[in-house]
Amino acid sequence: MADYARVDLDAENQVTFELNGRQVSAPAGTMLVDACYAHGVEVPIFCYEPRIGPPVGACRMCLVEVEGMRGLQTACSTPVRPDMVVRTDSPAAKDGQEGVLEILLMNHPLDCPVCDKGGECPLQDRSFKFGGGKSRFFEGKRHFPKPLELSSRIALDQERCISCFRCVRFSQEVAQDGQLTMQERGVQSQITTFSGDAYEDRFTGNIIDVCPVGALTSIPYRFVARPWDITNTPSVCGLCPVGCNTELTLRDGDVKRVTGRPDPNYEVEEGWLCDVGRWGFDGDGGITRLTRAIVRDANGERHTDLTDAVAAATVALRGASKPVGVLLGATATVEEAAIALELAGGALAGARVARLGIPAAPLAALRATPRAQLDEIERADLVAVVGGDPGLAQPITELRMRKAVLRNGARLVTIGSRPGTLADVATHVHAAPGALTAAVAELAAQIGATGRPVVLWDEAELAAEPAAAEALAEAVSANGATRQIELGADVNGAGLRALGIPATGLLEALEAGELGALLTVRADPRSAPGRVAWEAALEGDVPVVALATHADRTTDAATVVIPVQSLLEQEGTLVSMTGRAQRVRRGAEGPAGAAPGWEVLIALGHHLGAPPAYRTASAALAAAGGRYAGIEGLTYDAMGVGGVELPRPAADHLAADAGPARAAGSDGLALVATRDVYGGREASRAPALAAFHAPAAATVSPATAAALDVTDADTVTLTSPYGAASLPVRIVDGLSDDAVFVTLGTADAAAEALMPPDRGPVRVGVSVEARR
Amino acid sequence: MSLLTEQLKGFGITFRTMLRKPITLGYPENKTPVFPRFRGRHRLWQYEDGLEKCVGCSLCVAACPADCIRVVAEDNTEEHRVSAGERFARIYEINMARCIFCGYCEVACPFDAITLEHSYELSERERSSLIYTKDMLLAEHPKQVPLRTEGQRV
Repeated sequence: MADYARVDLDAENQVTFELNGRQVSAPAGTMLVDACYAHGVEVPIFCYEPRIGPPVGACRMCLVEVEGMRGLQTACSTPVRPDMVVRTDSPAAKDGQEGVLEILLMNHPLDCPVCDKGGECPLQDRSFKFGGGKSRFFEGKRHFPKPLELSSRIALDQERCISCFRCVRFSQEVAQDGQLTMQERGVQSQITTFSGDAYEDRFTGNIIDVCPVGALTSIPYRFVARPWDITNTPSVCGLCPVGCNTELTLRDGDVKRVTGRPDPNYEVEEGWLCDVGRWGFDGDGGITRLTRAIVRDANGERHTDLTDAVAAATVALRGASKPVGVLLGATATVEEAAIALELAGGALAGARVARLGIPAAPLAALRATPRAQLDEIERADLVAVVGGDPGLAQPITELRMRKAVLRNGARLVTIGSRPGTLADVATHVHAAPGALTAAVAELAAQIGATGRPVVLWDEAELAAEPAAAEALAEAVSANGATRQIELGADVNGAGLRALGIPATGLLEALEAGELGALLTVRADPRSAPGRVAWEAALEGDVPVVALATHADRTTDAATVVIPVQSLLEQEGTLVSMTGRAQRVRRGAEGPAGAAPGWEVLIALGHHLGAPPAYRTASAALAAAGGRYAGIEGLTYDAMGVGGVELPRPAADHLAADAGPARAAGSDGLALVATRDVYGGREASRAPALAAFHAPAAATVSPATAAALDVTDADTVTLTSPYGAASLPVRIVDGLSDDAVFVTLGTADAAAEALMPPDRGPVRVGVSVEARR
Repeated sequence: MSLLTEQLKGFGITFRTMLRKPITLGYPENKTPVFPRFRGRHRLWQYEDGLEKCVGCSLCVAACPADCIRVVAEDNTEEHRVSAGERFARIYEINMARCIFCGYCEVACPFDAITLEHSYELSERERSSLIYTKDMLLAEHPKQVPLRTEGQRV
């Protein structure tokens, strides 16, 4: 991982010092290890990890000789000073480093052949490079029971631990879950949780990445492959709109592991991953995965191959006497959307293209205000979160906000109907659903009085309250130093918007009978918000051609189902919520019966008699980059490994893409549809994430529960003007009264049934169904 | 030298050699004995209690310059213990068509689980038969060859 901090050798206030006889310079305050590394001198380290926090000097590995200081100094905790004379390769420094390694290896078992870290182990590498080569220790080593399950996903081998405290510090200072600690002392030191329970939290997998030895290993990856059996592919996580940069570990044509990049993208995830991003790949090939094309016609249902299915899809789409509708899901890539638009311009002339998502018009003004990448949060003195619960919906942003508070002393304010996961570090300003505008006005005053505010705003909640969005846009643009970050709802929502694809219009056209057929690309309208209306609109004889990875409600009823490759298996481009276009790369081979989505769409173009002028994803993107202003000039080369930031949309972008203006009324309880990647469909498919699996619930505050006279053993039926759902009750403190919280994206799609298709505000009636 | 002496010298060699035992062997009835350190077909070893010495560490894979070994490891469990260590090789395959008999796998093995034995009669009628599985490698090769004894010449 990124062991050394980045050093800006061109920065102001450089300090000049002598390193191994050379005159070099580094900015004042830089730690010696980082300064040395920047000048090509590697000082071995184990405990130092600048992303976790200030150095602790626990492992003593980085001993160097500094003239004028008694004994050897730890380079990780010694800042550079003018004219200091540092020697990392003197006999004294070498002797110190060799001695520390000999002591570390005294109790470290030499079971490298069975250790999963073997081959990619910093202790191995540094023993080889800096160690003395032999040990004088011949007594028996310490023994612990092994391996222990620290959690259902992490194995702990206490014998291998060198007590570097990286995992403990991650838990205490980065994730701040306060669970891990070191117990006992001396050779008996061992990592454990305070309570002795399993270490279950949302970011636990990162301690595997930071462990410099094989003490913490991934259970799903246990003994699956050695480092020389695998190839690594840099990619981007497609499970939430943050767009964390990941690395896929491949063996035998399959993804076996997902880790943070060894060279983190500091503007996005800083090398950390949430547990869903790390282990969510596990569910990609589950039993619901579509492996063969399905064609349903008068003769019934038949499984077939791709060529036949594309021919059947052509018949279904061409047979329509009326225009065709094309619906793009949240994970449809930029390439797929661009090809779909091209089909709509030629082969399927007159087709109406839309995305499953939140209408863009109410938020266009806010999106046009100065935007920041996630690293800006660290530099802010005031961080405000307006709406949502980013720790569950855009998890990695939570770590940045915690870092801003703990390490940089920023003030964190959360505004909304629930305190969320940041409650322990934030000042929560309560705003009932529908009452964000007043809270935003209050925030505007605070923004005006601060130097570098960063505002994170929730797409879904502000789209439901256009007045608040407008007020926030004004507040952000009033102070020239303010930056805003969108907490997006859809994985590639920004990419689809950049191509000018609206979220509204298609369902209305379908309901009015204007469309003759529907083509869905990674979209499941029957499980989307407003799904009751979608189901009614699709009830007629409108043929549906579905391009999907997994079986869902839409593929269960579609005329033609074409299996496409998942985002672990095909090329593509996703645009993150902060407007970064990043490349998804082909990792796994995927089922033999599936093809890349872009390839299927190109094939459809050929069958429909208007072949596109390109044959590859790369050429499709280059063609789109020349056509759409939102992604102008975008190519795979331009994106490189770290992605590229797209220009901000104009304030009048997609001005017509708005739902009808209406109030939610005042009957019943306000419905808050929450997003939770840990409780979502992708997470529920992954066996490794079983600890997160929880049934959907109607979550209410204790006061609301008392008013409704329900307990958490009851089941209630929620009824809105758009649909109904029956859910068990869960009571949680701190939530807005007079509201019911339901998670989106669960298997039963309960929240989706209650919501309107345009995602506007809605209130639900509650009746008690069953008491236990 | 005259033509005659040259011819006599040549025939001398011919007649002398006619009386010697031939160097060629009647293979396959007679097999060339090999040196003790001859590197032939691989063998995987077990301890006396039946546990495999191989723990599936894949170091032989890393060492192999011909990329002819494939190892897929798995956890040992209480009910199903295959090797003495934490892990064992669920799949251990050597592609004999690729192997160059360099012996690096034997050098790399930390548990002396794999050695190169003396058998060299490895031809098959199909390429697929040249992929040796773990069961094959754990058993002795059916076609053994004689070992050269100390000072023996053939």
